[in-house]
Amino acid sequence: MIGSAILPLVLAGIIFGSTAMTALADAPYKTYTVDGYGSVTETQTAYLPYKTITKIGEETLLTPTDFTIVNDEYIYILDSGNARVVVSDMDNELVMTFGEGILTAPKGIYVTKDYKTYVADRDAKAVFVFDKEGNLIETYTKPTEAMYGEAQDFLPLKVVANKSGTIYVICESNTNGIVQISPVEGGTFLGYFGTNATNANLWTIIWRALLTDAQRAKMQSNIPATPDNMAIDDKGVIYTITRGEHNDTLKRLNIAGVNMIETTDYPDIPAAVAAGNHDNVFVATQTGFIYEYNNEGDLLFMFGGSDDGKQRIGLSTKVEAIQIGLDDKIYVLDSEKAQIQVFEPTEFTAYLHDALNLFSKGRYEESKKPLGKVLEMNNLFTYANMAMGKALYKEGDYEGALKYARIAKDNEGYSDAFWEIRNIWLKKNLTWIAIVIVVIVILWNVTRVLHKKKHILDKPKAALAKIGEVKLIKQIGYMFYFMRHPVDGCYGIKREGKVSVLSANIILVVSIVFYVINKYFCGFLSKTVRDGSFDVLSDVGMIIIALLLIVSCNYLMCTINDGEGRFKDIYCSLIYSFAPYVILTPIVFLLSHIVSNNEIFFVHFGNLCMWVWIAVMIFISVQEINNYTVGETIKIILLTIFTILIVALLAFIIYVLWSQVFDFLQSIVGEVVYRIGS
Amino acid sequence: MAHKRIGKILSALLASVLLALTMPHFTLPFGSSDISAVKAADEIDGHSFVAESSRYRLYMREDDLSIVVEDKETGAYMESAVSYDDGKSNNTWLGAMKSAVVITMINGNDDTQQADLINDNVSLKTTKTDKGFSSEIYWSKYRFGMTLKVEITDDGVKAFIPDDSIHEDGDSYFIGTIAIYPYMGSSYLDDKEGYILVPDGNGALIYLDDKEGKFKSGFSGMIYGSDVGFDESDVTTLLKERYNTISDAEKVIAPVFGIAHTDDGIAYLAVVEDGEARATIECIPNGVSVDYNRAYAKFILRKTYTQPTSNNSTAGSLHIYESERSHSDLGVRYIFLSEDDADYSGMANAYREYLTSNGYLNKADDSYKTRIDFLGTEREKWVIGTTPVVMTTVDDIYEIYDDLASENVTDILSVYKGWQKEGLYSVPISSYSVDRNIGGKAKLTKLINDAAGRGIDLYLYNDALLINPDEKNATFNVVKKINKRRFEMTTYMDVYKKLLYIIPSRSEALLDRFVKSYTSKGVNKVALAGITGNLFSYNYSGKNYSRYDTQDSYSGTVAKLAGNTDLIMEQPFAYLWADTGAFLDMPLYTSAYIFEDESIPFLSMVLKGSIPVYAEYVNFEANKQEFFLKMVESGSFPSFYITKESSAELIYTNSGDVYSSEYSSYKDTIREYDEQLGDLNEMLGDAQIIEHEILGNGITKVTYSNGIRIYINYSREEAEADGITVDAMSYEVGR
Repeated sequence: MIGSAILPLVLAGIIFGSTAMTALADAPYKTYTVDGYGSVTETQTAYLPYKTITKIGEETLLTPTDFTIVNDEYIYILDSGNARVVVSDMDNELVMTFGEGILTAPKGIYVTKDYKTYVADRDAKAVFVFDKEGNLIETYTKPTEAMYGEAQDFLPLKVVANKSGTIYVICESNTNGIVQISPVEGGTFLGYFGTNATNANLWTIIWRALLTDAQRAKMQSNIPATPDNMAIDDKGVIYTITRGEHNDTLKRLNIAGVNMIETTDYPDIPAAVAAGNHDNVFVATQTGFIYEYNNEGDLLFMFGGSDDGKQRIGLSTKVEAIQIGLDDKIYVLDSEKAQIQVFEPTEFTAYLHDALNLFSKGRYEESKKPLGKVLEMNNLFTYANMAMGKALYKEGDYEGALKYARIAKDNEGYSDAFWEIRNIWLKKNLTWIAIVIVVIVILWNVTRVLHKKKHILDKPKAALAKIGEVKLIKQIGYMFYFMRHPVDGCYGIKREGKVSVLSANIILVVSIVFYVINKYFCGFLSKTVRDGSFDVLSDVGMIIIALLLIVSCNYLMCTINDGEGRFKDIYCSLIYSFAPYVILTPIVFLLSHIVSNNEIFFVHFGNLCMWVWIAVMIFISVQEINNYTVGETIKIILLTIFTILIVALLAFIIYVLWSQVFDFLQSIVGEVVYRIGS
Repeated sequence: MAHKRIGKILSALLASVLLALTMPHFTLPFGSSDISAVKAADEIDGHSFVAESSRYRLYMREDDLSIVVEDKETGAYMESAVSYDDGKSNNTWLGAMKSAVVITMINGNDDTQQADLINDNVSLKTTKTDKGFSSEIYWSKYRFGMTLKVEITDDGVKAFIPDDSIHEDGDSYFIGTIAIYPYMGSSYLDDKEGYILVPDGNGALIYLDDKEGKFKSGFSGMIYGSDVGFDESDVTTLLKERYNTISDAEKVIAPVFGIAHTDDGIAYLAVVEDGEARATIECIPNGVSVDYNRAYAKFILRKTYTQPTSNNSTAGSLHIYESERSHSDLGVRYIFLSEDDADYSGMANAYREYLTSNGYLNKADDSYKTRIDFLGTEREKWVIGTTPVVMTTVDDIYEIYDDLASENVTDILSVYKGWQKEGLYSVPISSYSVDRNIGGKAKLTKLINDAAGRGIDLYLYNDALLINPDEKNATFNVVKKINKRRFEMTTYMDVYKKLLYIIPSRSEALLDRFVKSYTSKGVNKVALAGITGNLFSYNYSGKNYSRYDTQDSYSGTVAKLAGNTDLIMEQPFAYLWADTGAFLDMPLYTSAYIFEDESIPFLSMVLKGSIPVYAEYVNFEANKQEFFLKMVESGSFPSFYITKESSAELIYTNSGDVYSSEYSSYKDTIREYDEQLGDLNEMLGDAQIIEHEILGNGITKVTYSNGIRIYINYSREEAEADGITVDAMSYEVGR
């Protein structure tokens, strides 16, 4: 150690490694965004590691838990392990420390733009307020108001204050919400704010009703979760994050405490939240991932990561706080590494922020330029595609809007643009359409008249009739009759041999083909599968397996319940019950290509009618084929469903057992082979 | 007050004198060059004189075979053993710090025990030769041994263990790894000024300052990339419990490392000459276990692995070790550098000299070209099977070339990807059959010839490593891991979910077939990928093959290919450099480890002026200007990945990660880069980088052998160096 102590004196050479390390580096982590379907996809690096602050002047930190950056001038770090506040300038030089001797177990800090410091101290059960020089000027302790709750302890963890000096405090184990205290008369409790809802779904309600009191007490308590952290923006909007609240993990609360956003891409273990400069918001997870959202809660970026001993720049061990600088740099406080990692936005992100700014202010025309830059760098960036679509829509470029909305899978934007395009098309072609209709009507009437007089249609009619006489065609055509007269139809199937297995099979194949076409090639607005994904084999397999299961289980049940139906009858009547599907699906399919969201009701309604019709047909055919009463039919249908469940269960058990046996044999052979081999 | 200060100064002086006495390895800078030679000492730190060359003297200590290399002219020296003990290390560490050879042994399931020359009862039979010494080492307890040969050369020292001298006679202890002189040039905390050269990405430095115990581990990189033949267990916290956000570390492309003591004016560049294909390079700063900075190569002879005994991973598995060790000579050449050369520029120059004089690097035409790669056909899913997504046809390429020519961009090198029948992921390629959607064989052949007539080199991309089991029969000739399980590479894409590797002999056979049918059409430009940047151990039909086997096989394949074709390679490892006409996809950054203090373009410094080096694609860089400056700094040429159609078309293909490639978006950038970098590189000609300096004010200065100096300013403010003012995020040329 002698060497290390004196050498700097003797050599007085270059001092390597200042307290902040700045290195030009590629990011060792990937950046992800979500595509229009909410799937995670990779994108350009959004933020690069800029520097790491490990020391403030000569002061080292001990488990810092929170910090605030004020005006991009000072960083106030809550050095919790040393129970003090360390103030640094932006070059990591020590400005001052304060709070020693006053703070005991401080957890949260907030500093206003005029340098008033609020510190939430859990063990001191107080929020301390310091002035610019670090003198204690105010202490808020447990509110005395009855509304606060007599038995409720006051254990402040996090604190923020708005411009009027009202403070918002998150307290440990206070599930009522955020404590809101006004500075009037040394602290007046204003009430609870932003309370999380308890999540009682139908299942828990039923469950709880069934339990005894003792059991209910043992159950995980159904009390609202306390927010984990919060932030306040310049407009006084409060952001909270709460673990395990799913879509409500991140909340953006207005003055009234009403949540204004919902995000489907929420982090699992959120640790901190910060408002950005462009109506955007950042959430850091304890594990070191950073999420950026726009003002509507759409995810823009996810990046960063957990160190796990990888020792790469920009990864964290335990994140406690996040702050955003005025120049959009992200500062992340890591309590375990006792450091602040600074990230710098890349060119790509700078363009995106520019676009966010303009777009959220409604300056669509101007936003197109930065959006174009973003899209040039990443054609597939969902937010930019969506925004570009909207911007073009506002401009009246509906074709462009349609294209971008489709890439962004922006259903609404697509529908709006589509409506306009269709409208324009209709306007343009209305005369032609009218002419075509008129011509068709005239032609129709003319032919009819001519036919009456000269029987010109006799030959074609005879030809058609001839085709209709072909047995198979007739059998298939029976479907139309069956649809309208199911009771009679069943008699025809059962007694008169009006259909054959072959005709039923043909109808089945046609149904499957229609199903596949409708599923993968219907209009974008009614599409239920991702663009570009095809899984026809399993579609067909599923249909056939389901069909066989239903028919055979139904047959089994019917035979032991005095049913008259033969297997063939049951099979054919079931297939023929799907006649409405064969007939209506093409119409629904065509409709799906010409409706926008305004009229998509017709598609849904058409579908609904079709399925109700099919259900009725199935019911009637089960009844008629087996000669059941209504009650018996219901019983048989329920029994069939039950049997299907049992068969599925059985199949599953057999599969599991066999795979175990197979695995066991395989490992024995594997080990024997290995032992012999060596 | 005054006497207090004098007291302070006196005590400091006294302390420094004491220091000089107590710390024998502390050399005062004798650096002045007028002392032509320092008298030979009989002994340095208990090491006695063995041999000398024109510039260096070699000293050796008999009991641990540690050596000292002394510069005759300056008297500066470096030691292989730690001579200052801070009293904090235990015997195991002390053994590692002093021994010439440090071994980790495999004993049953334990692969962590150490054998060294200090702690174990070891017999040494040392013979001095006129160039150095040779010592037969034998651990009688563990019953294995080897012969270490150390020779002084004109430029330094070579340490060498012949493969046939390694013998294991027992049946309970086996050799796992061997490290030769692990503390060569080590230093204590910040005792020395200087740095460790880390072969991470293009190159990185770890400064020899006091790290205050900040780091838990140092750099450890397998030369020529990690081994897919063995499963690496790795703990990673996943995003949404699914996505690994952390990028793979850069591969170690060249088997080098180095340490410079800039204050003493002595440095070495170590080239792992023998056995490098199965060795790791360790560069460890102080504070990681012990307070010494060190760098060394660790050769792997045997590894433990997990042998599952069933396909269900939760069922039984055995933890076993390779029964047969891998066979290769092991050798590290330390090239010593003195005075002004004792820095990383000197190391780069020395490595270039080493490569060229040994024929490992041949001069190729390295005139400036903008690299514009095209993607032909990709495939996306359709109702049944897949359907082609045509991105750039032969006609499109004609059009793009014409358009670029009208913008004065004519110096172009292109690699055509996805030209083969059925598109990009129809791999491996076994013949010259061209996808008809892009125009077919005759058209493509004509394009290659027409392009050549216009001075444009158009190469066809051929990944000779991958096989797509969804498109090709992958029952035979695919790589199995050492545990006999098939190696599968997950793509995380929708169309083809996994790809496999084919075995080296099959790669060679298929390449042969392809080249025959290709050259028969009178064209011969091939861009080889896959086998150029991967090495692995594998198992095939019951036999294990080591990385040495794979390396031998690949170098043979590539040498043959280079004879028949005009060959360029994607990220080739150093052992293939002699045969490549260009280096594609050079990383310009490092893996960004927290212990690395500086990123330097080491490999570019070595290669610039010898073979053209093309950077990774500009498309996917988020900071375009910074990336541009990096290319200026390293003398690399720009690369673009271009399609005629919008890359939005690729969204449902396996190239769904190509999110930006449309020609119309990149046209202006191509023209701009071509103009700026073209002019710059015209000035540079085939000059080499002889000096690279990072000046304090954000400026990096690169000096070329023809006297041209380039100043690159990465800071956000204007800065000045040598009287030249450089704008923020910009560069200037000085003559």
